[in-house]
Amino acid sequence: MLAVFPTFAGAPTLAAGAIPPVLVLAMCVVAGVGTVLVLPGRHERSVRKIGGGALLCVFLIFAALLIRQGAMKGAGQVYFWLFAAIAILSAVRVISHDKPVYSALYFLLTVVATAGLFVLLWAEFMAAALVLIYAGAIVATYVFVIMLAQQTGNAGRATEGGDYDRISREPIAACAVGFTLMGLILFVIFDMVSFVGPTKLAKGGEAQGTAQRLGEHLFTSQVVSLEMAAVILAMAVVGAVVIAGRKVAEPAPAREATGDVRDVDPKQVPVYGTDERRTKAYPEK
Amino acid sequence: MAMSEAVLRQYLAVGAILFAIGLIGFMTRRNLIVLFLSTEVMFQGVAVNFIAFGRYHGSLEGQAFVIFLLVIAAAEAALALGLIVQLFRRRHTLDAESWRELKG
Amino acid sequence: MEQLFAVKYSYLIPLLPLLGAVAAGFLGARWLKDRAHWAIWITVGGSAALSLALLTGMIRHVPAEVRERAHIESSGAIDAGESLSDSAQMAYAFRVSASKHVYTWLEAGKFKAEVGFFLDPLTAVMLCIVTGIGLLIAIYSKGYMAGERGYFRFFAYVGLFIFAMTVLVMADNFLLLYLGWEGVGLCSYLLIGHDYERPAAREAAKKAFLVNRVGDCGFALGIMLMYVTFGTVSYYGNPRNPVEYGVLIQAATNVSLSPWQQSAAQWIPFLLILGAIGKSAQFPLHVWLPDAMEGPTPVSALIHAATMVTAGVYMIVRCGTLFVGNGPATMTVAAVGVFTALFAATIAMRQFDLKRVFAYSTISQLGYMFAAAGVLAPVPAIFHLLTHAFFKALLFLSCGLVMHATMGELDLRKLSGLKRVLPWTNRLMLVGCMALAGVPFVSAGFFSKDQIIAAAWYQNKLFGLALLVAAFLTAYYTFRVYFRVFQGPTVLPHGAETHGQGDQQHGRREPAVMILPLVVLAVGAILAGYLNWPERQASLGRFLGQSPSLCLSHTLASRYGVDVPPVPFGVEEDPDKKVRDAMNVLHTNMMVASGLIAALGIYVAYLFHRKYRARSEELAMRFPSLNRMLERKYWVDEVYQGAIVEPLRRLGRAFNLADRFVIDGIVRAVSLTPQIGGFALKLTTQRGSLQGYAVLMLLGIAAILLIVLW
Repeated sequence: MLAVFPTFAGAPTLAAGAIPPVLVLAMCVVAGVGTVLVLPGRHERSVRKIGGGALLCVFLIFAALLIRQGAMKGAGQVYFWLFAAIAILSAVRVISHDKPVYSALYFLLTVVATAGLFVLLWAEFMAAALVLIYAGAIVATYVFVIMLAQQTGNAGRATEGGDYDRISREPIAACAVGFTLMGLILFVIFDMVSFVGPTKLAKGGEAQGTAQRLGEHLFTSQVVSLEMAAVILAMAVVGAVVIAGRKVAEPAPAREATGDVRDVDPKQVPVYGTDERRTKAYPEK
Repeated sequence: MAMSEAVLRQYLAVGAILFAIGLIGFMTRRNLIVLFLSTEVMFQGVAVNFIAFGRYHGSLEGQAFVIFLLVIAAAEAALALGLIVQLFRRRHTLDAESWRELKG
Repeated sequence: MEQLFAVKYSYLIPLLPLLGAVAAGFLGARWLKDRAHWAIWITVGGSAALSLALLTGMIRHVPAEVRERAHIESSGAIDAGESLSDSAQMAYAFRVSASKHVYTWLEAGKFKAEVGFFLDPLTAVMLCIVTGIGLLIAIYSKGYMAGERGYFRFFAYVGLFIFAMTVLVMADNFLLLYLGWEGVGLCSYLLIGHDYERPAAREAAKKAFLVNRVGDCGFALGIMLMYVTFGTVSYYGNPRNPVEYGVLIQAATNVSLSPWQQSAAQWIPFLLILGAIGKSAQFPLHVWLPDAMEGPTPVSALIHAATMVTAGVYMIVRCGTLFVGNGPATMTVAAVGVFTALFAATIAMRQFDLKRVFAYSTISQLGYMFAAAGVLAPVPAIFHLLTHAFFKALLFLSCGLVMHATMGELDLRKLSGLKRVLPWTNRLMLVGCMALAGVPFVSAGFFSKDQIIAAAWYQNKLFGLALLVAAFLTAYYTFRVYFRVFQGPTVLPHGAETHGQGDQQHGRREPAVMILPLVVLAVGAILAGYLNWPERQASLGRFLGQSPSLCLSHTLASRYGVDVPPVPFGVEEDPDKKVRDAMNVLHTNMMVASGLIAALGIYVAYLFHRKYRARSEELAMRFPSLNRMLERKYWVDEVYQGAIVEPLRRLGRAFNLADRFVIDGIVRAVSLTPQIGGFALKLTTQRGSLQGYAVLMLLGIAAILLIVLW
């Protein structure tokens, strides 16, 4: 299915298929600007659309470059580009959408696209596990919490998003840093390293990523990690129950703002997480 | 069939981009929940990376690691959301900027 | 000589007082308290005994050598014209001396300084004076300081002083001498300021130390010049080996010096003179001694009469070979001495504080000693040092008794007729005054002063005349004090009439512990004069002449053709009978003259201050400006204050301001920079939001990666 394509010599210079660093830099800059515009802020909708458009263009150019390099040809490559595009575009929407619920939904889309990429990489079981766990459990939890964490009296808040949702925090600095890092990583990937050849050929050919094979592998060579993962999960369950189960004292009224320190009776200091006022946080003689 | 190096690079690029996008979201968004959602996006990027390498080297290590990644992600999501609920109960807002006690 | 017990254990002489000082100082506060004086009595007594043993041992050594000398002379081996580097001659010069090396003190490259002692007759005499009088004064101090605060501290410092002074006289190199020199200066400061709660005492202590320092500066420069010129700081080095000669021998055999060494060696004496002027309170560095009377009276007696101030004279006598042949240097010494003698005597005529009068008297008598050393008469200088130690200590300690009786009042104008209240003090004071004035035959001062005047007259008639005038003034002001204070109607200050009777702090007025040492001193003051009766075989002069310092100086002097009568150098009488007769006539004339002058002075004092007190006051009032000049001590202190002290103070204040504002300002500015930087950083980066921190962290990572990859 996958054709054999020319491998690179691996020299960290501008070899035949490498993307010139200058181009990477330029693309990063444009993409950065686009991202800044696309993030929630006090601009008009049209500006955001322009930003989104810029990002789209950049991705297309990048893809075109890669295709021009002759990296991937053939029908199977369509799926790669499809899933990659969906994943990336959904991710952008996750971070740039005003309303948190929509962010969660777009995240769901990202997960599905990633699962598709997994399938292309012969990891069917992982794809299934991804969809199960993320889409099934984690996203659901997120949506529940979004529903929970609403201010009283504002039923539509979750879909609307608060004031803090509409304005992003230092977008320029964040994008600059983020794109710098991304550019560096891409630079490294494309221009600086040569990968060691496949250490061993896939055993058993096509059926590599099946549940049976993965299970065998896990339980023979990764047993300890597996057990530890199980313990971590158990701990997380216990921890989540404990954390979520605590009762939080209401923030005290303006008494603390105006009163003297001496007005506070030490016996009345509430214990963190309880409504009980009499109990002290430390034992008294 | 072995994976070629160019293909590997493409997958790695996708992973890097996903990671960077998640990073930007983490640094930018003020809503606590979207914050953690962005970290989950970062996890996706990392997972893609692992699987790609696993396929390239023809071993199952990559997939095994992604399983553990999923475990950790799930645990983290659970605990993080529990904490977010508690934080919300304190301040009645999901604004990350409202927690500034470390200032100065 | 080295086999003598005293020489073998000579290190005990300084060590014992040091141990006594340590014991009194550290144990005195809690455990010894009122018994602290025992530590000093025992240890200084031990030192005195050892010094005496050293002296007697040396004396016994001499006759044997004198006989040998006669043998050498008769064999014609010694000739005045012969080179001094002849080993026989050198051995002859060092025959009554012993060198004792204790340990090597400093070694830096080629420079080597050792702790070692050089014991010769000069050292032995000085040691006996220091430890003997120190012991007597320590005994006296028990009575004087009884009940004072800091009783143990006083004795500790006295022990320390005796240690430093013995080191000074026993040193065998200039560096150790300087150590002792500085040590006595320090102890002087400590002891003058013993009652440090009184501002006057504090100021006087500081003044003493600082003025001394000026002289010490010159002395140190002199020692450095010595090292540069001669390559060593040892006195004599190894007299047997010409390569290892010490400074004084090199200076003596100066034909072997290079021309620049010789010219440099011309300057060394002047620097040493500066040091001696500071230490021995000659003009112009005399200003500290009268103020030093703020200290307790035993301190005045010990340090500022008998021992410390004589260190300068000792040093000049010791370095005889450096001075002989250097005409300007000896002329300077003599001129300074004569001038100071006259200058201080005039001031003393018009002082009203009892101790001040004696302070100026000390300055004047030290001037006599300087004059003697300057006219190349070292034996009379040391002799006068000895007799002066006796009678001056006696006088000061008597003042102490007067102070106790009058509760601190020392103004002449307020005291009179104390002979009825203090009978013993009266007699002792009379003996002392007679010695100071030079009453013929019954006082030691007569003999020693007379010899100095004779030697001065021989060298330079003007000096001799000036010294005679000073002698007259000395007699006058001494007996002015005596007749005022002890004779005439009895006038005591208010409240002192019943002091001392019964259960007062000091019990009796004249306790035995204070009178007995004075009696010993008085006996010494009378009899010491006979130690150097001319023409006696076993006289002090003959003994001192065995010292290499005097021996080498004399040989050097005769080689330079300087006309020096041999007796002042402790050498045999001139074989030529005519010269001998001329000298005898001179001496006899001098004795008669000074005796007459002393009598005249006493008579004048009697007239003015006993018989016609009121009229003498009127007479004095007729010369108000003269009086004021004398009372104000010629305004020397004021000149110093205005020309040196005030400008320095202002400079110090300016520097203080510069330090506070400029230097501290710079330091504060430097410290403000990180503060401001930190504050700026805090305002910009520490905003408290999690995402802001995340941005910064990633920024850092990006920067590092950029640097690493590019």
